Amino acid sequence: MRKETYSNRVQLDRAKRVTINLFLGFHILFIACWCLPLDTALVTLFRNLVRPYFVWAGLFQSWDTFAPTPWSANSYVQAIVVYQDGSRKIWLFPRMEQLSLRERYFKERYRKFAENLQNDRNDALWPDVARYIARANSTAANPAKTVILVQESSVITPGAQGSYRPEPWDQHVLYGYGVKPEDLR
Amino acid sequence: MIIKSLTTAWNRFFFAEQSPTPIALFRIAYGTAVIATLWLLRPDWLAWYGPHAWISLPTMQALEPGRRLNLFTVIPQSDAWINGLFWAFLGSAMLLTIGLLTRINAVVVFLCLTSIQQRNLFILHGGDTFLRVTGFFLIFAPAGAAFSVDRLIRIWRGKEGMCVRLRSPWAQRMIQIQLALLYLTSFCWKLKGSAWLQGTALFYVYHLDALKRFPVPGWLLNPAMLKVGTWSAMALEFSLGVLIWVKDLRYILLALGLLFHLSLEYSLNIPMFQWDVLSAYILFVDPADITRACEWIRRRTSGKSGKSLASALL
Repeated sequence: MRKETYSNRVQLDRAKRVTINLFLGFHILFIACWCLPLDTALVTLFRNLVRPYFVWAGLFQSWDTFAPTPWSANSYVQAIVVYQDGSRKIWLFPRMEQLSLRERYFKERYRKFAENLQNDRNDALWPDVARYIARANSTAANPAKTVILVQESSVITPGAQGSYRPEPWDQHVLYGYGVKPEDLR
Repeated sequence: MIIKSLTTAWNRFFFAEQSPTPIALFRIAYGTAVIATLWLLRPDWLAWYGPHAWISLPTMQALEPGRRLNLFTVIPQSDAWINGLFWAFLGSAMLLTIGLLTRINAVVVFLCLTSIQQRNLFILHGGDTFLRVTGFFLIFAPAGAAFSVDRLIRIWRGKEGMCVRLRSPWAQRMIQIQLALLYLTSFCWKLKGSAWLQGTALFYVYHLDALKRFPVPGWLLNPAMLKVGTWSAMALEFSLGVLIWVKDLRYILLALGLLFHLSLEYSLNIPMFQWDVLSAYILFVDPADITRACEWIRRRTSGKSGKSLASALL
């Protein structure tokens, strides 16, 4: 009886070890394939195979901060809010350089969010953002009628001997949104 | 022959039993990083994740389709529920940090962390990603085997002695591999950029107004120094990705990595990123050195009140 129990335990330990080894091998291989910037057909195939699991489990990852090319422009996003009565207001996302040290710790997410908003690939975010700004800037007496998202940017150009002189700011309209009454509820 | 030696090396690396003190210390650092992240998000919990958030749940799902572990898709979309989720998350992160019901709380923290990240993927930085991915592997680690309330309870119940039982470190190794991959991947991406190869990348980074924290001395911003800085950062990332596995180089590289991250913490405004990454450095410290440090602390605290508690914890 004791011998049988011991044998069962050994088998169980072996099965456990095999399972862990499969788990380790699988994750090491596929995490490496996922994040290393290799574009071979096999790596792409591996990425596609594992995508549903990585997306589901939250194992997707990318480590490309400031790479391959760091941002070469200072930029921020502002919104022009046009009201029902014809008046206008400029609304700004929190700009880190204008905040105190403490505020920068708490509001840094806005920098990241505004950075993503400026990417045309994320244009599907713009209606939601325009609606949020409309809600935040409306009153019952004077609701927002239109929200225009504008990107302001100034290119960073290295000068002689590594000097830096800020370039003029450029304006670029990202999106205009006509606010509907239901957006303000 | 080669296969046999590879198998032996694999088994030694992942399964040779060792003290769980590094993973337990990592658990404390990790839990603290999660708590700090939640605390910094606190004023905007509802702005980012609420029913009327910047990005609605349907928009997020349309932009990033696919099945995902995301509690926001199953709880009612109301302020009370979402605040409740965050408070439960915070409570669980605190319990994980002190090591009470460690395994359960590791699962809860991972689930909540993944959920809030999946709910809004557009406000994340690398530190958040690192916490999420390492949180997954922490679930499988014996993170409550030392420096934990769970251990005190086991001792009190007579289930465990004063010596910490050795454990297989495979989950800890996965977190170490994840950290090394972070550096190696960053290095590989930089190899693809001309600004990094030419040594001008840091010029752009240090002139991004939104990222500036404290002033960087002018002499560090001259072209020669920026070149040295740019290439040193790449060399260090490669070393931390590859050479960190060479035992003789490990502590030197960890010290350089620490200096590197502290300099970024000083100069760049990316809250928590440096601390999230640094939390995993403890996993590269030899358990014997941690034991020596604990012995030293124990000697310093002996004779004072709480001696037995310190002995049990350390």
